[in-house]
Amino acid sequence: MLFNKSKKIAKRLKVGEEGHLSDLQLNQKAVVLALHNDNPALRRRLLDMGITKGVVVQIKKIAPLGDPVDIELRGYELCLRRADMRQIDIKVIEDENSFSRQSK
Amino acid sequence: MKIALAGNQNSGKTTLFNLLTGSNQKIGNWPGVTIEQKRGTIIGTDFELIDLPGIYSLSPYTAEEEISRRFLLAEKPDLVINIVDSTSIERSLYLTTQLMELDLDVIIALNMTDIMEKKGVHIHVDKLEKELGLSIVAISALKQTGINELITLIKTKGYKKNYHPLIFSADLENAIAKVAQYVKGNHKRFISVKLLERDPLFDNHQIPSFEVAINQLEKAFGTDIEEAVANQRYEYIVGIIKKAVTVRDVGITTTDKLDRIFLNKWLALPIFVVIMFLVYYLAVGVVGSFTVDLVDGAFAALSDWTRNALAKIDTSEWLISLIVDGIIAGVGAVLNFVPQLIILFLLIAVLETTGYMSRIAFFLDRLFRRLGLSGKSLIPFIVGSGCSVPGVMATRTIEGDKERRMSIILTPFIPCSAKLPIMALFASYFFPDHSGLVSASLYFMAIIVIVISAIIMKFFFKGNLSPYISELPNYKWPHFRYVFRDVKDRSLSFIKRAGTIILVSSVAVWFLVSFSWGFEYGVPVDDSILASVGNLFSWVFYPMLGELSWGATVSAFQGLVAKEQVVSSMAIIAGLAGDVSEGSMIFGAGGPFAFFTASSALAFVVFNLFSAPCIATIGAMKQELRSTKQMLLAISYQIAFAWLLGVLVYWVGNLIGVLV
Repeated sequence: MLFNKSKKIAKRLKVGEEGHLSDLQLNQKAVVLALHNDNPALRRRLLDMGITKGVVVQIKKIAPLGDPVDIELRGYELCLRRADMRQIDIKVIEDENSFSRQSK
Repeated sequence: MKIALAGNQNSGKTTLFNLLTGSNQKIGNWPGVTIEQKRGTIIGTDFELIDLPGIYSLSPYTAEEEISRRFLLAEKPDLVINIVDSTSIERSLYLTTQLMELDLDVIIALNMTDIMEKKGVHIHVDKLEKELGLSIVAISALKQTGINELITLIKTKGYKKNYHPLIFSADLENAIAKVAQYVKGNHKRFISVKLLERDPLFDNHQIPSFEVAINQLEKAFGTDIEEAVANQRYEYIVGIIKKAVTVRDVGITTTDKLDRIFLNKWLALPIFVVIMFLVYYLAVGVVGSFTVDLVDGAFAALSDWTRNALAKIDTSEWLISLIVDGIIAGVGAVLNFVPQLIILFLLIAVLETTGYMSRIAFFLDRLFRRLGLSGKSLIPFIVGSGCSVPGVMATRTIEGDKERRMSIILTPFIPCSAKLPIMALFASYFFPDHSGLVSASLYFMAIIVIVISAIIMKFFFKGNLSPYISELPNYKWPHFRYVFRDVKDRSLSFIKRAGTIILVSSVAVWFLVSFSWGFEYGVPVDDSILASVGNLFSWVFYPMLGELSWGATVSAFQGLVAKEQVVSSMAIIAGLAGDVSEGSMIFGAGGPFAFFTASSALAFVVFNLFSAPCIATIGAMKQELRSTKQMLLAISYQIAFAWLLGVLVYWVGNLIGVLV
């Protein structure tokens, strides 16, 4: 089939927990801890696009089929695939789900 | 004086280029519209301006980014205008920090200042100028503000000289200074940083003592050197932004609101289908039914009038026939479709400028990836619905070689505007009440053809999937001036082609249909040169036409010249075969194309849509594939696939005809 048959639903990370950027869910905010070095060209590009240690990222939009994902960082939005986001370690700093974004 | 225009993708470089030079280069709202460097002269000066493809850094990632880096390093422009998108200033200044390392003067054109306040960004230009040590002009390329100030600054050379500010930490700067002693020639600072970063471009200049320095630094930073350099660049930028930029939260933006609809889990795909359906339905069905008869009538009147006028002044019969049956019939048959094409071009231009195209790429990426393609393949496909040549060239923005090659071969399957006359001609005659529906279905058939072909090609193109890294641009209202110009340019280029290639081909076809091998004029068309050639090959189309038709055969072959030539050729052949030439009578009783039924008509259209593209596209494919062999394989595949599909459509059509 065209889609993954058994997609296991990742446990929602709580504030303070660490994981991969791909584990982050809609509107969650996290700080980048490290970038893996599996694919040097990809890593270089991610660094160039501003994904560096300490930068704050937030999941803004998710494509209708679940992938790719649109994240906000450094005041702009960047689309990445989940597979590539697995290369980025993060720590959750804010869980927007606890209060509605619209009410702000 | 030579000036380069450099900046991130979709930052408005080409819009500014057009303004400064008065030229008409294509603009759009997706990252990577410009894939080649463009040259022009700034109005009122003799300064040469070069528009470079968008780059995010001087470590290029795709083919067209490499063009920009090579230009900046090798051609040594006298000045670089670094266009900075003020709405994403933090990321944009990253490239600026690299440009500042080159031995080139840099000024910043701070663009999109008209919408930055709306996004909650306020930039104190004077403070930013002081911090960066570069001259800055706030502009809006779209609203045309600040342009005169920019030109004056360049003309008076009143801009600050590049003094290579030291932006890194002390230990890194020391290492750069040490390495710089070994570097000869231009761009010492830039090359030193690249050597420390172990950039493969400078591999043959590496010496062991650099490696010692790098290892020391990496130990001190606790990360590898590439990351440390990137970190420090961004730290420097963040420091400046704290002083010169204020940002306030504007909450949910219009773009976010629109994306809730256009990227909605359930609505995204249906909306996409409806939009693409409407494009073809409106162009061929709705508009076509109004205009075709009207324009057709005008051409019929013109040919009658010309025939009579020429006869009155005793023009010889063959010359009348050449002008009326050859030129007017051939060129007129194609010009018939201009109103429909205008609508098609208008709708494509709107799609390209609103920012919706990047959304389609975004949400189809997952599907496309399964097919071995990238979501970015969609951009060549949509550009290709105007013309396949720029469509094939737009594949340059795709990172992975495998995805790129597959996209090059698949793009010509999308019905380009020159194929619209073929679709519209057959659809309006054989499906008069559903011509829009038939055309839109043919478009969706193209998508199915692409999916099947991609699955087949996956076996032949090995290689890993490349990552998908792309910006999602903000939605913008289509700018009337640019949409109008785009539509005008494309329509004029179609009309121009009718007056050149199609005209010459029409004369050739007229000659080959009017004369026999013995150069005898006025023979029955079935005895003409073209008929004898067509008869040699007419068996090829027998399985999808149910008829040995030399006329359809030679017309299909002429699609190689230009796709609309198929229609033109049929009009000439039918006209010469009958008593009078009337465009709509191509399929008239007793004529050479009277044998067409609904199913053979559809089969013939399908063959022409999906078989080898025109010669211009074949050239573009060869250039982009950088392989004649692969190009020939691709063309053979397209012809074989189109033939099989045509035959299939014919027999399924017949079967339905029997059953219903």
